[in-house]
Amino acid sequence: MPEQPFSADRPLPEGVRDLLFADAATLRRMAATLRATWSAWGYREIILPTFEYADTLATDVGAKLDAEMYRFFDRHGRTLALRPDMTIPTARVVGTRLYDQPAPLRLSYIGSVFRHEPPRAGRQHEFIQAGVELMGARGATADAESVALAVAALRAVGLPEFRITLGHVGFFRGLLLALAAPDRLAGRLRSAVDRKAEAELAALLQEAPRLAPGVREVALALPRLTGQVAVLAEAEMLCVNASMEVALADLRAVAELLEAYGVTDAVSYDLAEVRDLDYYTGITFEGFAPGLGFNLISGGRYDDLIGHFGPPFPAVGWALTLDRILLARELQGVAPDDPASDVLLSAKGCPACLAWAAEARARGLSVEVDPLELEPEALWQAAQQRGIPRVVLHSNPAALIVRDAAGERRVAAGDWEEVTRWRGK
Amino acid sequence: MAGQVMRGSPLTIALPKGRLTEDALAFLVKAGYAAPTNGDNGRKLVLDSADGRLRFIMAKPGDVPIFVEYGAADLGIAGLDVVREAERDVYEPLQLPFGYCRLVLCGKAEHADRSLWLERSPRVATKFPRLTEAYFRKRGLAPELIVMSGSVELAPLVGLADLIVDLVQTGTTLRENGLVELRTILDSQAVLIANRASYRLRAAEVRALIDALANVIRGA
Repeated sequence: MPEQPFSADRPLPEGVRDLLFADAATLRRMAATLRATWSAWGYREIILPTFEYADTLATDVGAKLDAEMYRFFDRHGRTLALRPDMTIPTARVVGTRLYDQPAPLRLSYIGSVFRHEPPRAGRQHEFIQAGVELMGARGATADAESVALAVAALRAVGLPEFRITLGHVGFFRGLLLALAAPDRLAGRLRSAVDRKAEAELAALLQEAPRLAPGVREVALALPRLTGQVAVLAEAEMLCVNASMEVALADLRAVAELLEAYGVTDAVSYDLAEVRDLDYYTGITFEGFAPGLGFNLISGGRYDDLIGHFGPPFPAVGWALTLDRILLARELQGVAPDDPASDVLLSAKGCPACLAWAAEARARGLSVEVDPLELEPEALWQAAQQRGIPRVVLHSNPAALIVRDAAGERRVAAGDWEEVTRWRGK
Repeated sequence: MAGQVMRGSPLTIALPKGRLTEDALAFLVKAGYAAPTNGDNGRKLVLDSADGRLRFIMAKPGDVPIFVEYGAADLGIAGLDVVREAERDVYEPLQLPFGYCRLVLCGKAEHADRSLWLERSPRVATKFPRLTEAYFRKRGLAPELIVMSGSVELAPLVGLADLIVDLVQTGTTLRENGLVELRTILDSQAVLIANRASYRLRAAEVRALIDALANVIRGA
């Protein structure tokens, strides 16, 4: 490769990047597929502002997000922030503007979000989230719809292999209640459960004050309550209070509906899932794909968030990170979209050629006109270099000369049947 | 590609080259897993076990959590010190009964009775900047960190730092260099770590390995 003939010393800030050609095309097509998928389920898109007042975005339920926001000042000295996720602005819209609309509301969004995080696997500071929220409905029917749509969305974006794990915050909350652990100990228990640290959990339980019979055993069993739907039956014997029973009943109802949706093979259960315990109020779920140690999608029920902006409003939803799906597809060997054009056309200002190009484009082909006015041989070489499968020249208004991998041939200018076959290779 | 997972491929486990290698391999063998076929002559970095159930990645100890977080390895064995320092997003299902050591704050023996928390801004040499920083910050001190990659105990001797934070097993090296332990920051031992996706997507194999290791611990 030739040395760059000028100074290229223009570094990008940490955490942002350019997505070029194949990546951009794949990402946009995934976005289009997602829109088609969720609009078929009745979700309608909203477009949200990229920045808002920091106070609006910094809800106390999202303390971690709060610490990661990019903040800056407007000209009046008020603090603004780039949105760190899409759910909070969506909740703001619903709480302030849509709360008296007939329920349920089905909303969707796609957009960049911004978080200043320490460098970690798979995390950029700017990334693209796409998600849905089903608002104004409680219960298993709404929960199951959200999970089933998550499965449909991951299938639609062309991910061959993935798994959604489903949990419920009520189960661990109930356990903490039963353990009656002081705050500090509760925090450490939660951290141990979050890391599936079984031995550490056992050691911590030694520190818990007098435990009711059986509670310790339940806590010790927790990290193992992960797997197929059978773990719900296992967990049933372990419930020691109403909170745990309600959580499990919720999950069982959702599991039944997921079976009806026909998505059980994509779903497993994890009752030790304790991420975002303060944010969610019911079911929670995360989606993983082979080879990626971070989730592609996460969601759950969050009945308390909208109440920060208006009247209380139950809600369930999820967001997936398109950049991560891009990576997951690549790891599973899915070919990226190839944005190369179908035809490189030599026109040289000839009206018949340009008219032919317009007609071909109207029929769905991508036709590039050669602006360098290359001679036929150079034109063919240019096409090959750029992955364009064929060149077209007009020998006269009625006949095309086509050159592709098979060689050179003549095609009648009106033979649209032949030309239409060139679409997308 | 490193992270690519093929069906039927062996479970990949990242092992730390060095002090923990032998113990880690011996422990896996006790749990019924075969050791690498071609022996560890220290050159090959990816080895398969004789029974084809495991693939070993021989990594620098500090890199083990990275291999696991990114999914290049499904599992890993590393010192808790390394795991805490790396702060990677991984599961830690088991603590293993070897590789015991302590991460300690040390100073020169002649100032052993110094009042640590009255210092303005102690200069601390360490290979564990994150844990060291956190330890001091938690007490309201801003340490001046000198991040080194070897022979940290040298730093106080030559006036490079007032204090060091380093791993000790027996304390012999410390004593020989005229240093004494002032505080223990972390009690460390080997831990099994797991990739968050593998823990779920290869749940049966991962669970079998955890249980087999846990049985050895219980029997030990």
